[in-house]
Amino acid sequence: MAEPLVVFDNVVKRFGTFEAVKRMNFEIREGEFLAFMGPSGCGKTTTLRMLAGLEQPTEGDIRLAGKSLLDVKPHERDTPMVWQSLALFPFLNARENVEFGLKMRGMDKPARRRKALDWLERLGIGEFAERDVNSLSGGQRQRVALARALVTEPKILLLDEPLSALDAHLVIRMQGVLTKLQRELGITFVYVTHSQSEAFAMADRVVIMSKGEIAQIGSARDIYRTPASRFVAEFVGRNNIFAGTVNAAGNVETPAGTFTLDGKARPGDKVSFVVAADVVSLSVTKPAAPNVFTAQLISEEFVGSMVTLFFEAPGDTEVKVQVQERSLEGIPREPGQTLFLSFDPSHAHILKG
Amino acid sequence: MTTKTTKPDTYAIAWRLPLIVWQGLFFVGPLLFMVAMSFFLVKNYRMEVALQFSNWQRMLSKDFFWDAYFFTLWLALLATIITSLVAFPASYFLAFKASERLRRWAIFFLIIPFFTSYLVRIFAWQVILAQSGVINAGLSYLGLGPWQMLNTQFGTMVGYLVLCLPLAVILQTFSLANIDKRLVEAAHNLGCGRLRTVFTVVVPLAKTGLIVAAVFCFILSFGDFVSPYYLGGSKPPTLSIMIVDTSKSGQQWPRAAVVAIMMIVTLLVVAFTAIGFAYRKRGK
Ligand SMILES: Nc1ncnc2c1ncn2[C@@H]1O[C@H](COP(=O)(O)OP(=O)(O)O)[C@@H](O)[C@H]1O
Ligand SMILES: [Mg+2]
Repeated sequence: MAEPLVVFDNVVKRFGTFEAVKRMNFEIREGEFLAFMGPSGCGKTTTLRMLAGLEQPTEGDIRLAGKSLLDVKPHERDTPMVWQSLALFPFLNARENVEFGLKMRGMDKPARRRKALDWLERLGIGEFAERDVNSLSGGQRQRVALARALVTEPKILLLDEPLSALDAHLVIRMQGVLTKLQRELGITFVYVTHSQSEAFAMADRVVIMSKGEIAQIGSARDIYRTPASRFVAEFVGRNNIFAGTVNAAGNVETPAGTFTLDGKARPGDKVSFVVAADVVSLSVTKPAAPNVFTAQLISEEFVGSMVTLFFEAPGDTEVKVQVQERSLEGIPREPGQTLFLSFDPSHAHILKG
Repeated sequence: MTTKTTKPDTYAIAWRLPLIVWQGLFFVGPLLFMVAMSFFLVKNYRMEVALQFSNWQRMLSKDFFWDAYFFTLWLALLATIITSLVAFPASYFLAFKASERLRRWAIFFLIIPFFTSYLVRIFAWQVILAQSGVINAGLSYLGLGPWQMLNTQFGTMVGYLVLCLPLAVILQTFSLANIDKRLVEAAHNLGCGRLRTVFTVVVPLAKTGLIVAAVFCFILSFGDFVSPYYLGGSKPPTLSIMIVDTSKSGQQWPRAAVVAIMMIVTLLVVAFTAIGFAYRKRGK
C-alpha cells in the first residue's frame, strides 16, 4: 500500500511545561476527509498548526508525502488553511483575497484574475468579487476564505472550525458545499471541530481527542457503535451507558435491570457497556425479548423525521431512544408514561477502562 | 396641560466653558488677529491698522520667501521619511519579536527623552556635533576628520530625528502591536515569505498608525525653530527662522504674519490630506 499522505510520528508539543499535544501517532490517507473532534482546549488547533508549520513540534516528526516537514518553513509548505476567524485580508477585496496565494506563486495578473473569478463563481459568490470583504455576510466571507485556500489547488486543505461562526441553517448548507467540493476535487481535507454533528456528517474518519491525546480514530459508525472508552461514549452523547457487576450467570446487574451480553462479560467483573440510542426498541406491552427494562418518558426532541425520546430508568439511569417518528404510531407519548425498552445483546458494547 | 421645556444643560456648559474660553482667548483670537495683522502697514517702525495687500504681494513675489518655503518643506519631508524608515525596524522588532516585558521597558525609555526640554537636548547635541566635540574627538583619535557637522543640514536633520524619533517609534509600535497576528500567519500560510509579508500585509494593516506617526514628524519638523537655528546654523533660513528675522528687522510683524499663515495653511493641507489617506476605505 502506498505511503499515507501525512504521518505524525511521536509528535509532542509543549508550551513551556504545559503539554498541549502528548505523543501523537496517526496517519492521514490521501483523499480522505479526516475530522478532529474534541472539547475546547484539547489540542486540535495546535495539531493543525503543526501541520501548517505555524507551530514547531517539541518532539517527533511530521512527514508529508514521505518527506519530513521539520525544516520546511510555513510559506514553503503547500498546506493552506481556512481559519476559525477566517483571517481575510481587510485591505483587499474578495477577488484580491483569493488571488493572494496565486500572486505569491508568481502567476501573471490576467491568469490569476481569471482563476480567482472562476473559484468565486464556483462557490456561488461571483457577483461579490469586487466587494470589500467586510461588507459581505458571514456565509459569503466563508466562501471567500474557502476559495482563497483552494485556488492554488493544494493536495491537502486544513480547516479550523470554519463553520463555528455561522447560523445553524448556514452550517448545514456549508457542510453540503464542503463535502461536495471534497468529493469533486479529491483533495484531502483535515477538519477540526468541536461539533459532533459536523464531524459525523462529513468525515470519512474521525479522530476523537481528549487533553492532548487521541482517544479514538475511526469511522463515525465505529465511534458511535463501539466507543473505545467511557470518555468517547459520553462525548458522542447519543449513547446509553450502563454500569454494573457481572453475576455468577454472566449477566450484568445494573440499577436499571439485569442484562445478558451473550457471555461477553466475566463473572465478578465491574463493567460498563454502551447501547446506541437507535438500537433500543420501544413497546407498550412487555415483549418476548432479552434485555427488557421499564423506563419513564421525560421528554422528546425532533430533528427532521427523527425523534429522540428521553427516558429515566430505575437508579436515575438516563436512556435515549432515537427512532423514526412514524414508527411510533400506537405508542402513547405523554411525559410520565412508562414503557418497555429492550435491546439485543449483540448491540451492547463493553467499554474498556 | 404643561409642555416640558428642555432646560439648558448648565452642568455640561459649566464644564466646557473653561476650554471654550481658553481656546477663544488664546487660539482663535490670536489667529484672527494674525490674519488681520497681515494686512496692516508698518511706518517708522510702528504698525498701523490698514487693509493693504502689500505684505502679501511683497512676500509671495520674492524668491527668498519661496526658497525658504521649499527648503523647509524639503527638510521636513526628508526628516519624515528618514524618521519613518529608521523607526520602522525598531517598532517592528518591539511589536512582533520582543517579549511583553521588553516592550514595556522600551516604551518607558522612549518616553524618558520627553522629561527634559527639547532645547536642552539640542544644546547637548551641539556639544556632541561641534568641531571640537565628542564625535570629532573620536574621529581624530582614529586619524580622521574633523568633519563639519554643526551648522549644516546634517546638523538640522540630527535635531529633527532627536525631536521625532521617540514619538514615531512609540506610535508605530502601538499600531503594529495591534495587528491581528493571524493575518500575518495567514500570509505565510498562503506562500508569502517573511520579508514580503512585511510589505504586502503588515504595512497595509498598520497604515493608519504609520501615517499618523509620519504626520507628527512632519508637523514637528516643519514648524521647528530650535534645530535649524542651533544645529543648522540658520543658513539657509527655514520659515520659522524667517519669522523671527522678519519680525525683528524693522518690526515687520505683518510680513512675519504672512509667513506664519502660509505655514499654517501648508500644515493643514498636509495633515488633512494625510489623515484622509490614512483612513481612506478602499473600493466603493
Ligand atoms: N501559543 C500558546 N502558548 C501557550 N499555550 C498555548 C498556546 N497555544 C495553545 N495553547 C494551549 O494549548 C492547549 C490546546 O490549545 P488548542 O490547540 O488551541 O485547543 P483546541 O483548538 O482544541 O481548542 C490549550 O490549553 C491552550 O491554552
Ligand atoms: Mg481551536
